[in-house]
Amino acid sequence: MTEAHLTMEELLVARAGDATPAVRHHLEACAVCTAEADALAQRIAALRALPARRPPRDRWPVVRERVRVARRRRLIRRGGVGLAAAAAFTLAAVGVHSLRQGSVTATPDSQVAAAPAQAPGVEVASLIQQSQSLEHQLRQYDPDGRVVNARTAGVIADLEGRIATVDAGISRASAAPRTPSADQQLVNLWRDRVNLMDALVNVHVSRASYVGF
Amino acid sequence: MTQATVGAYAILDDLAIERAKSGDLDALERVYRAYEATVYSLARRICRTAEDAEDVLQETFFEVCRSIGGFRGDGPGSLTAWIKRIASSKALMRIRREKYRETDDLVEDGPDAGRRPLDIGLRLDLEAAMARLPDTARAVVWLHDVEGYTHEDIAELMDRTVSFSKSQLARAHARLRDWLGEEQIA
Repeated sequence: MTEAHLTMEELLVARAGDATPAVRHHLEACAVCTAEADALAQRIAALRALPARRPPRDRWPVVRERVRVARRRRLIRRGGVGLAAAAAFTLAAVGVHSLRQGSVTATPDSQVAAAPAQAPGVEVASLIQQSQSLEHQLRQYDPDGRVVNARTAGVIADLEGRIATVDAGISRASAAPRTPSADQQLVNLWRDRVNLMDALVNVHVSRASYVGF
Repeated sequence: MTQATVGAYAILDDLAIERAKSGDLDALERVYRAYEATVYSLARRICRTAEDAEDVLQETFFEVCRSIGGFRGDGPGSLTAWIKRIASSKALMRIRREKYRETDDLVEDGPDAGRRPLDIGLRLDLEAAMARLPDTARAVVWLHDVEGYTHEDIAELMDRTVSFSKSQLARAHARLRDWLGEEQIA
C-alpha cells in the first residue's frame, strides 16, 4: 500500500488509531488522502452536531398503562398458581358430590350459559376447562410483546383487574366449607372468570386483526 | 455528550434511580422524561419514519420499566449507556422487521448503487444523505460515529460479523462523500 490512494476502510482504520506504518506514512505524504481524512473527520463532526429530536407525542401514558397491565398480569399469573390448586380442590370437593348425582362429562367448548341444569361439579369442571383454554388462547397473542394504544391498554387493565378480583374470590370460596350455596358461589365465580377471560381474549383478537397480525 | 444526556444528568440523581428500580411509577416517569429525547433522537436517526421511532421509544421504555430492577450500574452515566443499548437494539429490530421493503445492505460501490436515483449535480445536506442510505448502513454510521459503539458492539447488536460492520461503515462513508460536497459539511 504505497502508490494507490487509501481506501475509505483504511482511512477509517487510521482515524481509529490502528493504521499500519505504511498507511500512516502514506497519509503523511499524500495531500489527496490527507484532504480525504479531513473531510471524513468533518463529516463525523457534522453528524455529531445534528440537533436532538423530540418525540412529537407524549408516549409516557401508553408506557405507564402497559406497565400497569403487565404488573396486573403478573399478579394474575401468581394468583393462577393458587387458582390451579383451588380448581383441583374444587373439583375434588364439589365433584365427588356431583358424581353421586349422575354421569359427568366435561365439555370444554360448550357455552357458559348452556349449562344451567348441570350439577355444580360438572359445571365447574367445564368452566375450569374453558378458563384454561382461554388462557392458552391469550398466550398465543403474546400480550406482553404487543404495542397497544392507551385506550386499549385501559380496557385490558380493567379486565385484568376484575379477573384478579374474581381469582381472589375463587381462592376464598374454595377454602370455605362445602355447602350447596358455597358450591353455587364457586360456579358463579368461575362463570364470571370465563366471561372476563373471553372478553380479554376478544380485545386481543380485535387488536391483532386491526393491525394485521 | 448530547444536550439530552446533559439534561438527564441534571434531572436524575441516585435516589431517583433507586426509586425507579423499586418500580415507583413517578420515578420511572422521571427516567422517561430525562431520556425521551435521547432515545427518540437515536431511534429517529436509525429508523426510516417518525412513527417507527415513536414505537421504538415506547418499546424501549416499556423494557426499561420492566427490567430496571435488575440494572446493576451506578449513576446516570451507566444508566444512559444501558438505556441507549436497549434503544439501539429495539431500533435495529425495527429496521430488520421493515427490511422486506427493499434490499438493505450496501453491497456495491458503483455510482448507481444508491437507494434512489440522484440527479447529477444535486447536492444533499447531511440529514438527507443519511436518510438516503440503506437502513443497515445508516444504523452502522450512527451507532459507530455518533453513539461511539465499537464494531464488535455493532456486530453483536446486529447479529452480524465485525467485518460486516466495518465494510458497511466504509461503504456508507464513500456514499456520503459522493453525495455531499465538502463545502457543505464544513
